Amino acid sequence: MIKQFIFSFIATLTFGILFNIKGEKLFYSALGGGISYLFYYVLLSAGYSQISSTFFVSILIGTYGEVMARVIKAPVTVFIISAIIPLVPGGGLYYTLYYIISENYSEALKYGMDTFQIAVIIVISILFVGTISKFINKIKKSADADSAREP
Amino acid sequence: MNISYMAVEAGKIILENGGETYRVEETINLICQAYNIKNADSYVTPTGIMFSAEDERGNNLSIIKRIKYRTINLEKVSMVNDLSRKVQNKVISPLEFEKELEKISNSRSYSNLVLVISSSLAAFFFTLLFNGSIYDALVSLIIGAMLRINMNFSSKYDVNDFFINVIGGIITSIIALIFCSQFKVLSLDKIIIGSIMPLVPGVALINSIRDTIEGDLVSGLTRALEAALTALAIAVGTGIVIKLWSFIFGGI
Repeated sequence: MIKQFIFSFIATLTFGILFNIKGEKLFYSALGGGISYLFYYVLLSAGYSQISSTFFVSILIGTYGEVMARVIKAPVTVFIISAIIPLVPGGGLYYTLYYIISENYSEALKYGMDTFQIAVIIVISILFVGTISKFINKIKKSADADSAREP
Repeated sequence: MNISYMAVEAGKIILENGGETYRVEETINLICQAYNIKNADSYVTPTGIMFSAEDERGNNLSIIKRIKYRTINLEKVSMVNDLSRKVQNKVISPLEFEKELEKISNSRSYSNLVLVISSSLAAFFFTLLFNGSIYDALVSLIIGAMLRINMNFSSKYDVNDFFINVIGGIITSIIALIFCSQFKVLSLDKIIIGSIMPLVPGVALINSIRDTIEGDLVSGLTRALEAALTALAIAVGTGIVIKLWSFIFGGI
C-alpha cells in the first residue's frame, strides 16, 4: 500500500514537471496523485468495482483540488490535472485496441464499454464537485452582499 | 502600452499555456474593471480572443488575437491569475503592470533535459504502479525519454499534434515489441500501458469539463474533441505497429 502511494506520488511529481508546475504547488499536486491512487487501491481491495472506486476517488480529488486552490491560491486545474492522471483508463484503451486487432470483437466491446464508462464517470464526478463549489461560492457572495447592504 | 492591450495580452498568456477559456474571459474583464475601462467585453475560444471596449475619448476599440501555438505551462497560468487578483485588490500603476506581465511571459520553464528525464521517470513509475516488473519499467524508461525527444523535435518543425501522438504510439510499440521479442520475461501490455501515460491528454480533458461547468459550451466541446483525438491518435499509432508486426512475424 505504501508502495502504491510512493510510486503514484513520484509519477505524478514528474508529470507536474511536464506541465511546468513549480515550487510548493508541485509538491501538493503530487500529493494529490499519491492520495488518489492510494484510495483507489484501498477501495479496489475492499471489493468495490472499478467504476464505483473511480467515482469516489474522483469526487475526493475534485474536493481536494477546490480546497487546495483556496489554501495555496492557484488555479484548481493545477491540482486536479495531476491527481486525475493515475485514474485515466490507459489499460482499458490498450486492451480494447489489442482485441480489435486480434479480431476478438466481443472482448473488445467489453473493454471498450468499460473504458468509456470510466472516462465518463471521471468527467461526471469532477463536473459534480465543480458545480457544487460554484454553488457554495455564489451563496457566500450573495450573503456577503446582503450583510454589506445592512449597515 | 494601453491597458486594454495589456489585458488581452494577459489573456493570451493564459490561453497559450493551457488555461481554461472562461478563465481568460474572467481575467480580461477583471483587469478592465480594475482600471475603469468602459464597456469592456471579451469572447474567447481555444484558438482566439475577441475583445472590444471604449477608449478614453469614447471611441470604439477592438482587439483580435489569434492563438496559433499552444503549450502547457501551468506556472504561467497561475502567475497571471495571481496578478489579476493583485490588481483587483489594490490598483498598481499601468507601468508596473506591464513590467509584471513581461516578467511572466519571459519566465523560464524547465529545460529540455529536465523534461526528457521526467518523462522517462513518469513512464518508469507508472509501469511499476500498474503492476509491471522492474524489467518492464526499465524498458518504459527508454520509451518515456524517446517520447519526449520526439515531441521536442516535432514541435520544432511545426508538426501537428495528431501526428506527434501517432508517432508517439508508433515509437512506444516498436520499442516495446523489440524488447519483448528478445526477452521472454517482459510483458508487452504492462510496458505499453505504463509508457503511453506521458501522452495522456489530461489538460484538454479537465479544461473541457471546467469550461462546460462555466457554460462555455463551444470551448467545452472543442477541448473534449481534442482529448478524444489525442486518444485516437495514440491508439492508431500503437495499433498499426502491432498489426504489422503480427502480420510480418506471425504473432506477437
